[in-house]
Amino acid sequence: METDKTPFYIIDPRTKLLILALNSVFVFGGAGGADTTMEILRHVITFIPLGLLFFGGKRKPVLLAAIFYVAFHVLQVTLFEHTKGVLNYILLFSIGVFVRILPNIMSGYYFISTTRVSELVGAMEKMHLTDKLIIPIAVMMRFFPVAMEEAGAVHDAMGMRGIRFGGRHPSKILEYRLIPMITCSVKTGEELSASALARGLGSPIKRTNICSIGFRALDYAFWILGVFTVFVFITTLL
Amino acid sequence: MITLKNVSFSYEGEERKSLNNINLSIKKGEFIVLCGKSGCGKTSITRLLNGLIPHYYDGKLEGETLLDNNSISQLPLYDIAREVGSVFQNPKSQFFNQDVFSELAFICENLGMTKREIHQRVTKSISSFSISHLLERDVSQLSGGEKQRIACASVSAPNPNIYLFDEPSSNLDVQGIALLRNTMANLKKQGKTIVVAEHRLHYLMDLADKIILMVDGKIEKSYTREDFLNLPPITRNSMGLRCARLQELLPYKSEEKPVFQKHIAFKGFCYMHKSAKKHSLHMNPFYIPKGSVTAIIGENGAGKSTFAKCLCGIYKKCGLMEIEGKDENWKARRSTCYMVMQDVNHQLFTESVLDEVLLSMDQEEEVLAKKVLKSLDLEHLSHRHPISLSGGQKQRAAIATAVVSNREVIIFDEPTSGLDFTHMKEVSKQLRELSKTGKTIMVITHDPELILDCCNYIIKIGGGGVKESYPLHQNREKLLHYFIEGGVSVE
Repeated sequence: METDKTPFYIIDPRTKLLILALNSVFVFGGAGGADTTMEILRHVITFIPLGLLFFGGKRKPVLLAAIFYVAFHVLQVTLFEHTKGVLNYILLFSIGVFVRILPNIMSGYYFISTTRVSELVGAMEKMHLTDKLIIPIAVMMRFFPVAMEEAGAVHDAMGMRGIRFGGRHPSKILEYRLIPMITCSVKTGEELSASALARGLGSPIKRTNICSIGFRALDYAFWILGVFTVFVFITTLL
Repeated sequence: MITLKNVSFSYEGEERKSLNNINLSIKKGEFIVLCGKSGCGKTSITRLLNGLIPHYYDGKLEGETLLDNNSISQLPLYDIAREVGSVFQNPKSQFFNQDVFSELAFICENLGMTKREIHQRVTKSISSFSISHLLERDVSQLSGGEKQRIACASVSAPNPNIYLFDEPSSNLDVQGIALLRNTMANLKKQGKTIVVAEHRLHYLMDLADKIILMVDGKIEKSYTREDFLNLPPITRNSMGLRCARLQELLPYKSEEKPVFQKHIAFKGFCYMHKSAKKHSLHMNPFYIPKGSVTAIIGENGAGKSTFAKCLCGIYKKCGLMEIEGKDENWKARRSTCYMVMQDVNHQLFTESVLDEVLLSMDQEEEVLAKKVLKSLDLEHLSHRHPISLSGGQKQRAAIATAVVSNREVIIFDEPTSGLDFTHMKEVSKQLRELSKTGKTIMVITHDPELILDCCNYIIKIGGGGVKESYPLHQNREKLLHYFIEGGVSVE
């Protein structure tokens, strides 16, 4: 038996999906309302992906996100009730962004930036999903960075041509951005599929996966937390 | 080993036969180079051999392709993948994993081998391609040459006997080509059968056993290496082929020394990428002759593209360009400099070529727009959608937008990567004509044929700074030396 050399902060992709789901339902979606236990759980759920990202080396964005989250949460419980009018609206809006949406974005970012395509495929196979679902999702994950790169290049080209908001055809700005992106993405997508097929993807033989994924201590802890959160949620409904 | 019998193929929706009655047999251990103009069918042959025709690209296929007496069209793709490894042109779109190790294991995983076996096979490819130092890296951080090496190593894991390369050198610099050549030599030594479809021929000449010339979907002639090298260069050029030896390029034509009156100076071009610790661009002041065609050479990652982006104001707040006694900052340069990108598709936005040109004008004047289109031989295409144009026409459409917006400096990012001799000549002519109209042209390129054909000034960039600058006149040998010797240190 080999000793497990994986750092403790690396968790199974399935657990990452759980964290993303918890974040979406309870922090972003606000399920469970103003229940006190739930309020505490929300902080915990917010800080899990932040903590894991922090250990993974993404110090700066994590610290920024944490500071904004804490600051606006403090504003929410102290200053918010005492404001009126426009200030109240501004606060309501920015609290919404930094306390609800930001944690969700960070957990999405955590998922995307730390999960390799092959790990995700392995995880989905362990969940016994069909290949009809796994392969398109894998291709999509692979395609995402390509699309980002294309978008960057188109953005550069637009700057160089002086096409921007406030230019001559403001209504067409979206079209200008999308058309070259689609042209390039279609071409890349086609090449990518050709290459993947020529490398044997899509065979009916059961695919092996060399990634070592599996649950470890931290994974179990997070799943227990997940079950507990759902339990608390159900009690708030009663 | 491989036999093609009376094979014809036309892609779906096309009348023209991309392959027309091909008969070819390839023996075990042979190294075959397929060459010919763009669209001659050489890529289609590689697609026949890896089964992408007819399994992925639809169309009308006649005749038979046999792989060890089995018909390829009857074999499923994943069975062919065991026997035939394919390396494609574009390193960006042929990888499926972000990390090198997963990529190496990818084919074996797909073929359902056991974990143990996969580890053994991957370990073997790692040692036979000497890539252990790349394992920890992300595929996206590798250089072009390293990527193609990983691609070779990854297709070699299931131990196929046939290797296909479809224009593998298109995106490579001098060192990348040397690395690729070295990888191919290694495969040849192992007795593998190798088929390469390629425009650049010079790096393959010591390896090729047979050179097959294709014209309009037919095999025109098959040469042995000696016969091919004995052809006069001009005959090869008339077939649309690039040089077979770089040395051929030296005795071109006697040219007059170009006279330049004015200069454009570049001052304080420095740039640091976000997460980087070091400046990726740190240039001492330098100048180029105004109205020249200046080649910008240097290895991948030397800072050429970063410089181009700074020059055109894509990267902000960087450097001053002194032109006609005026210092222009990045903002001013957004309306005086223009880059024709390597993938021109990124910079064509509208529904017709004419609209494209009008969009770039301060005042939409159709008469002037048409005049510019005519000068670039695009008039008859002015109502076509840019997407429907050929690569060269797209490039000219991008040039047209630069001309109507009165840009003084136009910089081209690798305009001839993956082009045959004829198309390269067209680009070269275009650059010369543009410079005759008084524009200053800069070309980022790894293509010595292009440089020797149209450039008159050289800037060599290395490690983020200008290493050398000299007029090309009477320095042709020096330039060629860089391209011939540049890769030797790698091997």
